[in-house]
Amino acid sequence: MTYQVSIFLENKLGHLEKVTAVLKEAQINIRSLHLNHTANGWGILNLVVSDPELAYQLLNKGGMSAALREIVVVKMADKPGGLDDLLKDIVNAGVNFTNAYGRVVNDGDSAFFVIDVQDIPEARAKLTNVGLEIIADHLVYGMPSL
Amino acid sequence: MYWEKELEVLDRKNLEKLQVERLMATLRQAVNSQYYGKIPEINKAIKSGIHSIEQVRELPFTTKEDLRGDFPWGFLAVDKREVVRLHSSSGTTGNPTVVYHNRHDLDSWANLMARSLFAAGVRDTDVFQNMAGYGLFTGGLGFQYGVEKLGCLSIPAGAGNSLRQIKLMRDYGTTVAHAIPSYLGRLFDVFKEEGLDPRKDTKLHTLVIGAEPHTEEHRLRIQEMFGVKAYNSFGLSEMNGPGVAFECTEQNGLHIWEDAYVVEIIDPVTLQPVTDGEIGELVMTTLDRRAMPVIRYRTRDLTRFLPGECKCGRTHRRLDRIAGRSDDMFIMKGCNVFPMQIEGVLMKLPEVGDDYRIMLETIDDQDEMIVEVEVKKDWFKGDLSVLDRLQKHITHLIRDEVLVRPLIKLVEPGSIPKTEGKAVRVFDHRKK
Repeated sequence: MTYQVSIFLENKLGHLEKVTAVLKEAQINIRSLHLNHTANGWGILNLVVSDPELAYQLLNKGGMSAALREIVVVKMADKPGGLDDLLKDIVNAGVNFTNAYGRVVNDGDSAFFVIDVQDIPEARAKLTNVGLEIIADHLVYGMPSL
Repeated sequence: MYWEKELEVLDRKNLEKLQVERLMATLRQAVNSQYYGKIPEINKAIKSGIHSIEQVRELPFTTKEDLRGDFPWGFLAVDKREVVRLHSSSGTTGNPTVVYHNRHDLDSWANLMARSLFAAGVRDTDVFQNMAGYGLFTGGLGFQYGVEKLGCLSIPAGAGNSLRQIKLMRDYGTTVAHAIPSYLGRLFDVFKEEGLDPRKDTKLHTLVIGAEPHTEEHRLRIQEMFGVKAYNSFGLSEMNGPGVAFECTEQNGLHIWEDAYVVEIIDPVTLQPVTDGEIGELVMTTLDRRAMPVIRYRTRDLTRFLPGECKCGRTHRRLDRIAGRSDDMFIMKGCNVFPMQIEGVLMKLPEVGDDYRIMLETIDDQDEMIVEVEVKKDWFKGDLSVLDRLQKHITHLIRDEVLVRPLIKLVEPGSIPKTEGKAVRVFDHRKK
């Protein structure tokens, strides 16, 4: 099971840095980042990190609202049209996601695509059925940084 | 069943007759003070006499500003050597509000306190631990004298130091305790940390809670935690302190002692009496205080009379729990809004924390009410749509309650600055 850390953030000067300061202090590496904001002055920061459980505990201890949220990570080709090919497969699988973001891996020919869906087991089954490769959590967390 | 049966079940007609007599005596006493001596309506009422209690409305109000304005001796109606105690507010903003008592006043107050506790089922066989601060705050000595009058074994524990409170309770078999409601949650946590359960490891059967407005939900939580009955106590230092109004064992409204006070509920804007049963500002006149009578004091507390008679048989009317303070009221888009209404909505939602802030701003020439709400940490699951729904949900609930559409701002837990002492909730930055 793969988790991202989701943090409730107000859109205010210095609030994102408060999060990164906690991660830096604990030497937690950020693998991928996605910031998503509403018109109401707040948003949610989604992070894939080297140690999500530790990040979750430290951020909460630091007074922030952090949650561990399960995600599905699939592999795609790192070439023009790679995302389009992947999305065609996801459409065929019938998986509708609420949020998604990507990350290039430095092995030169592949990238990871992070999907946030309501029903994780169902999504995993459907994606596997159309032949997509779901990345194991230790690979997601351990992705070498560029 | 009753501490002073004759007075507590006195029929309304005779109760009002007693009030009229005592009001006349109070006016005669009041004009000995510098402040009331100069008020023509009071001198006039003394001359022409008062024949029905409704005539109290012909007298002028006394406000907190009046009390502070004639600091320190302006309201004193006896010779200084007769005064034996004063209680006073902290006075961090301007002059403190000070109230003087002579021996008669302290006796009368202790008696009301004993009557109140008796009505809540406390007896001389009880061991009473008072966890309120002793000193200028009336919750300490006010309860102390009443508890002694009633004849309980009293433990003047004072506020705080939870480990000592627990030890006292266990050493002496405390059966009744008094505390402010917000302290009891902390005390319960310390019980748990010590591996103790107040339900099993103490003899408590009754808690008396007051001095802070609290909701019925809060009372039920306290009863559940300690396995006791919790009774609501209401008082204010200008009217002595605790013992002004108290719940009887019916736990349905607080009997306000009408042989000791004339009680009115008025519309804070028109200053006219509200229809019986409607919420308004509590106005009180002392009827049995000699060193410092206070006439038609605007308490700023909002409440209402509960209609109907109480099953306990007492004829003194019942107040509903305090719904807020009239000086917190603000007008938004033509509607009167009380912060307690908004608090009432928020505190029912498990998703939000205890702190909130109401900001009144002018945005593009339009007045807006922005309510900042803290999202509880353990409730946050990282889902944007859930937060969106929560925001809309709160917007609708508050709109339905106060008839003004608020802008709800969800903020990070702990981001609303804590205020020292009484919480400041409303910030008005509107262009006037």
